[in-house]
Amino acid sequence: MTRKRRTPQSTRFRQRALVVLVLLIFVGFGMGATGLVRVQLIRGAEFSARAQANQLHDTEVPPQRGTIYDSQLRPIAESAAASLVFINPNLLNQAVNRDEIVQTIADDLAPILNITPEHVHRQASFTHLNHMRLQGRVDDETMQLVNEFRRRELIVQEKTNDPAFADQGGVRNVRTTFGRYVQVQPDVVRFYRWGSMGGSLIGFTGADDVGRSGLELLHNQALTGLPGRIVSARSAAGVNLPIHYSSIYDPQPGNSLVLTIDEVAQRFLERSLEQARIDAVADAANGIVMCVRTGAILAMASVPSFDPNNHQRIADEALRARIMAIPDEEERRAAYNHAMMAQWRNGAIELTYEPGSVFKVMTFAAALEEGVVNMNTTFHCNGAIQIANRRMHCHNRNGHGSLTLAQGFMNSCNPFTIHMGQLLGSDVFYDYFEAFGFTEPTGIDLPGEFRPRVGVNIHSRENTRIVELASTSFGQSFEASPIQILTAVSAIANGGRLMQPFVVAQEIDHAGRIVRETQPVVRRQVVSEQTAALVSYMMEQTVIDGTGRNAYVAGARVAGKTGTSQKLGAGEGYVASFAAFAPADNPQFAILIAIDNPQGGIISGGQLAAPVAAEVLESLMVYKNIEMRYTETERQALGGSTPNLVQMTPEAARAQLQQAGFRVEIIGQGEQVLHQIPAPRQNIPAGGLVVLYTDNTVAQRMVTVPDLTGLTITQAQQAATAAGLNIRLTGNFNSHQLRTNRQSIPAGTQARMGENITVHFVTSFGVVDRTID
Amino acid sequence: MAVPRAEMRKKFTKEKVPLRQFLLGYGGFDFPFLVAVTILLCVGLVMMFSASYVFAARHFGDPYHFIRQQALWAVVGFAIMLIVSKVNPDILRRFGLPIIVLVVAVGLLVIALVTGTGGFRRWITIPGVIQFQPSEVAKVAIIWFFAYAMEKYQKPGYAPVRQTSLVPGKRFHNWFGRWWSSFMYFIVLALVAGLVFAGDHVSGAIIIAGIGFMMIFIGEQRIPLLAYAIPAVGAVGAVAAVFNNPNILPDHAAARIISFLDPASDPTGGNWQIRQSLYAVGSGGWFGQGWGRSIQKHLYLPEPQNDFVFAIVAEELGFIGAILIVALFVFLVWRGFVIALRTKDRFYSLFVLGIVLQVGLQTALNIAVVTGMVPNTGIPLPFFSYGGTALVVLMAQMGIVLGISRTSSEQKLREVFFSGRRRKAKALQSAPT
Repeated sequence: MTRKRRTPQSTRFRQRALVVLVLLIFVGFGMGATGLVRVQLIRGAEFSARAQANQLHDTEVPPQRGTIYDSQLRPIAESAAASLVFINPNLLNQAVNRDEIVQTIADDLAPILNITPEHVHRQASFTHLNHMRLQGRVDDETMQLVNEFRRRELIVQEKTNDPAFADQGGVRNVRTTFGRYVQVQPDVVRFYRWGSMGGSLIGFTGADDVGRSGLELLHNQALTGLPGRIVSARSAAGVNLPIHYSSIYDPQPGNSLVLTIDEVAQRFLERSLEQARIDAVADAANGIVMCVRTGAILAMASVPSFDPNNHQRIADEALRARIMAIPDEEERRAAYNHAMMAQWRNGAIELTYEPGSVFKVMTFAAALEEGVVNMNTTFHCNGAIQIANRRMHCHNRNGHGSLTLAQGFMNSCNPFTIHMGQLLGSDVFYDYFEAFGFTEPTGIDLPGEFRPRVGVNIHSRENTRIVELASTSFGQSFEASPIQILTAVSAIANGGRLMQPFVVAQEIDHAGRIVRETQPVVRRQVVSEQTAALVSYMMEQTVIDGTGRNAYVAGARVAGKTGTSQKLGAGEGYVASFAAFAPADNPQFAILIAIDNPQGGIISGGQLAAPVAAEVLESLMVYKNIEMRYTETERQALGGSTPNLVQMTPEAARAQLQQAGFRVEIIGQGEQVLHQIPAPRQNIPAGGLVVLYTDNTVAQRMVTVPDLTGLTITQAQQAATAAGLNIRLTGNFNSHQLRTNRQSIPAGTQARMGENITVHFVTSFGVVDRTID
Repeated sequence: MAVPRAEMRKKFTKEKVPLRQFLLGYGGFDFPFLVAVTILLCVGLVMMFSASYVFAARHFGDPYHFIRQQALWAVVGFAIMLIVSKVNPDILRRFGLPIIVLVVAVGLLVIALVTGTGGFRRWITIPGVIQFQPSEVAKVAIIWFFAYAMEKYQKPGYAPVRQTSLVPGKRFHNWFGRWWSSFMYFIVLALVAGLVFAGDHVSGAIIIAGIGFMMIFIGEQRIPLLAYAIPAVGAVGAVAAVFNNPNILPDHAAARIISFLDPASDPTGGNWQIRQSLYAVGSGGWFGQGWGRSIQKHLYLPEPQNDFVFAIVAEELGFIGAILIVALFVFLVWRGFVIALRTKDRFYSLFVLGIVLQVGLQTALNIAVVTGMVPNTGIPLPFFSYGGTALVVLMAQMGIVLGISRTSSEQKLREVFFSGRRRKAKALQSAPT
């Protein structure tokens, strides 16, 4: 039912009211609705994007960097989660009582973070920034203290426009915590277990967890992994919102590297090198131990090294002290930077020097291979040889006289080698020069390897004319890196096969799956196996009775070649080097020792580098359980093995020892032998002393170790026996003028009576392959 | 026995009305209007809470800081609305004049008292009791007085001046009375708006002027249509002048105009709020982020519980939700007009019109500000924005509208009863629907 509605108002009143209503709805509300359409629908995406640019914060979660393991899966470099603490100076600046807050942070937080209060003030002064780092790589333990500080409450006086606070001077007190200003984000810390050992090989990462040198640099991508991301919305105060918009993408941990490097081998090498460097008063010493069959690097060291955990510190204390003593600030800084960069360099692959006599291995091999000489070839050395218009001297100015091929090699005769080079001719010689890898890098998987450049480091084929041929043939007038030389020498050990050296055996992912495995690469067959065997023989003879006699290790059958060379272009200075492998008949390890710029008056590789090589090789062979095969004389020098006497009666023990030819000392009145020194199955010389203890209450008899260095064999034996120690002699006894140069227990220390002291002998006779001009 | 209709009516009007009936009147509310008010109040509370809790937690350490007070005021307001709606609106008629006098007096007092303190003078604080905005009351007073006066002096000659001997001739007297009675509105309006403006509440003054002009347009029909061109031109001129040189306004208002005209001028200052508001509204899109999921309220948008609450509403509920809420307001305004046009009484009609015009004008301006269509005026959104005085006054106004809405049904009922259509009425009442 419809009914005409009666309204009391006049028609005009109603008309006007309707006009107002329509205007209000269409103009008034229409304006708002238009605004909504414009802002939400038409330009919605734009405003939304701008809002999100303000609101969303993309936090990168660093992935766990892969671990670097040695060949036995012992970790070398590991990453651990840590934290980075930073402040928000911009936010701080909005507080009226800013100075007070900053002062509290400087007073209470700085000591926790191990930073100076001045650092806090300086970082807080960047008031236009929201993120100023206070300290990175903060461990969890410290973070507990930091978080305790962050939870501390404080009252912040904030400026506000709110009229409600107008009567308080527009300042409002807000109760909050220090966590508002002191914030934390994840960080990682890289820990190098080896400390300074293998520093230049392993390299280091920067503060950003990116590899900066060494393996860390070369394999950075594999080690890094993929960072995760947390996209989260934050309030304007920079606090993560409790809910919504949190997308988390897990980081993918980096792959790990398994090296061919063996921690034990590395320790042997590095320890010996460091000692050698000190003894020779050298700038540096570089050494590489390589597995002959595969080209895998077992150890690679360059001393002085640096500690990747603290890579900016000059590890060589003496050098550091010298630099710090420079009065001029700028000069000091430059010197410091130079030294810092220098210590990061891996000399084993970056150092370049003239190989010198070590290169004669290649020349002899080439000549034998090409048949221009044979083992019966003889040569008369009168101290010099005339090449074109130049007279080239032998290191023995008087001449070696008549030499067989092997004698020429053992004595490192320069004229003989030059003669062989001339017989080969420059073209054929250059073929072998190339084949042994002296014109190219070895391709080792390390960054910064020396890359020979024609005309700079080496002669070109065309330029290798008669004089250049002569100098090159005995290892002068060109440069090579230790790794190149070692690779070439180990080709002789490996039946003429030149290998590509490598240090990374495997790349494994975080679940332990092998991602990549390095296969040994034979680069080429340089010489025949027969030639290689002949050269090996000559090298072994060199160690037995030639310039390399200081590298002799009883039972190890070391084969080697000495080298002493002037550094090319670097002004003055020599490099004493020695390349060797062992055992000669079944080579396992090849080693190169290069001592850079020895300033102790002795420069020859036979004196400086050969004993180091011997020491490392001997330790390695024991460690790797390579059977030692002794000659009869060696066996005699070694003496006998101690029997196990524990739990025997003192009388029976005494009888057994005396029968074996040992002296006995029984301490205590007990019924039974409780322990013995030396321990069972130790080699002690004939007539050596065995101390038996029958009573636990009696203190062990201690003796003071005498200084045995510089003595002859007889003197050393007498001194040791007098002191109540057993002496074990190492070194080459086929030689004259033997002198002790090392003892295993330092002089002046206390040792248990009857303990074995190993004494190493070196000779200065017949080992010099170069005279100082 | 047939009683003549005129006599009947006379008898009815002379009839002694019982006190209870006088106080509480007859009939029922306009139900749709009540529903619209209730929905808006509830939605407003919920959205204000959602918008405010972060700000409240951050600045007062208590997320419920605003909602607790607002909810209390809402309950009080709703009760006041119900009570007021039960009061016979006829009583209101008697306060039309006193209230405007009171407001002007208090306004002058406030200006005089707090002039020295400088800054904002919008608030009156009675220590320990209440803090309220005189401009809220001023709006009601203007509506009240205009409705009262426009009813009382609607006929020509009913001039609010006494006939004196000074006025020569009845003709002139009529002419003067007519014009005086028309100009009087402008004078009162200018006085009240001026007081509010002097209280540094420019937006309040604008709203009051707007309502006043609209009421004069509807209720005072003796002014020729052409005459409205004068305030219209004046308004346009004022806007042009202000946009040309905003510094003629009080400082805070000038800053808002400047930032509206040149959004790049001060991105972190005056423009910050409107920019963050646009980000919020824009983030809403069609369907919004979902209730409670606004990000802009997380301290990006300053004081989101106040004038910019609608930005958060738009962000959380999206275009659909925002338009629905706008539609609710439109419905409320439309229903108010219906109520106004149904009442027989001119006072009631104008009173209701004034109230819904005020709500409509504030809403429209607020949404236009939030969406960046007009400069930031500082007008709160009825039912949504935080503010005790405003909410209670608004609810009381809604009560008045409801109370007046009853009179039309009461009148309808009475008409039906006393116009000899009793049977029809009975049939109407007993009809199933």
